[in-house]
Amino acid sequence: MGNGMRALVGLLLPPACREEVLGDLHERNATLARFCIDAIRTVPHVIASRIRRTADPQLLLLHAIALYLCYYAAAWFEARALLRETWGLARPAIPALLVLLVLLLEDAYAKPGSRSRLQLTRGPLIAFVGVFLAQSLPPKIVLFGGALGLPLTLVLRLFFSPQSTSRQGPV
Amino acid sequence: MAKPDSLGQFEQLVLTAILTRGEDAYGVSIHSKVEELARPKTVSLGAVYVTLDRLEDKGLVKSWLSDPTPERGGRAKRCYRLEALGERALEESAVTAKRVWDGIAEVWGKEWVKQWSKRWVTE
Repeated sequence: MGNGMRALVGLLLPPACREEVLGDLHERNATLARFCIDAIRTVPHVIASRIRRTADPQLLLLHAIALYLCYYAAAWFEARALLRETWGLARPAIPALLVLLVLLLEDAYAKPGSRSRLQLTRGPLIAFVGVFLAQSLPPKIVLFGGALGLPLTLVLRLFFSPQSTSRQGPV
Repeated sequence: MAKPDSLGQFEQLVLTAILTRGEDAYGVSIHSKVEELARPKTVSLGAVYVTLDRLEDKGLVKSWLSDPTPERGGRAKRCYRLEALGERALEESAVTAKRVWDGIAEVWGKEWVKQWSKRWVTE
């Protein structure tokens, strides 16, 4: 049970800081209950800090605009009436935000060090499949928007690789 | 020579903790020192991690992983030390704090200084 809980906390922590944070939590807390309480208080800060370190606000904005325009264009061609509904203009933003969220988390949970091109494509692929499954817009719009957005996102990620902080290993 | 950014109060506490812990500056030891410096306020370990990350990004501290130890469940420590820029930033903050202290003491008098000095010793 104790080891299972520690493994779960380890899974929640981004790999770049997993080692030291798990060690610190283990050292500070003799009992499992205290370990869990400490982990609940600490892990969200660690994740937020990792996202801050790996996210590039300018690149994120570029992604957001590009993705919104892709889904907007898809809605314009496939179901123009949808855009005239109340909050119609905001609806293409939902899949765009979902993709951005997945990309943010993917970068935060990436192992430190440089990533291959194949690894950089994993995040967008997961994100677009997730958006399709979430069905936040009619399937045709999601497919068309995804077909436009996926290559664009891949190009952006390959040309502007996500940041990776150069933390050192053992000395 | 690069000029350090001005530090927030919590950043000053964390840098002071790293300075005073010396070779033994890592997450848990830095947190306990920061709690000691910030008393009576409590400080979360997460807040210390966030600040350490920010200080590292600003180039004020450097970190590295030590060897794993059994008391930490076979996990390594991330040790920290001040960079030259961090030392300068802390120095500037300390000088500013001293000026603030002197300014207040000048107006509120020697009795106030004595009273606070006594309080620090007993706390």
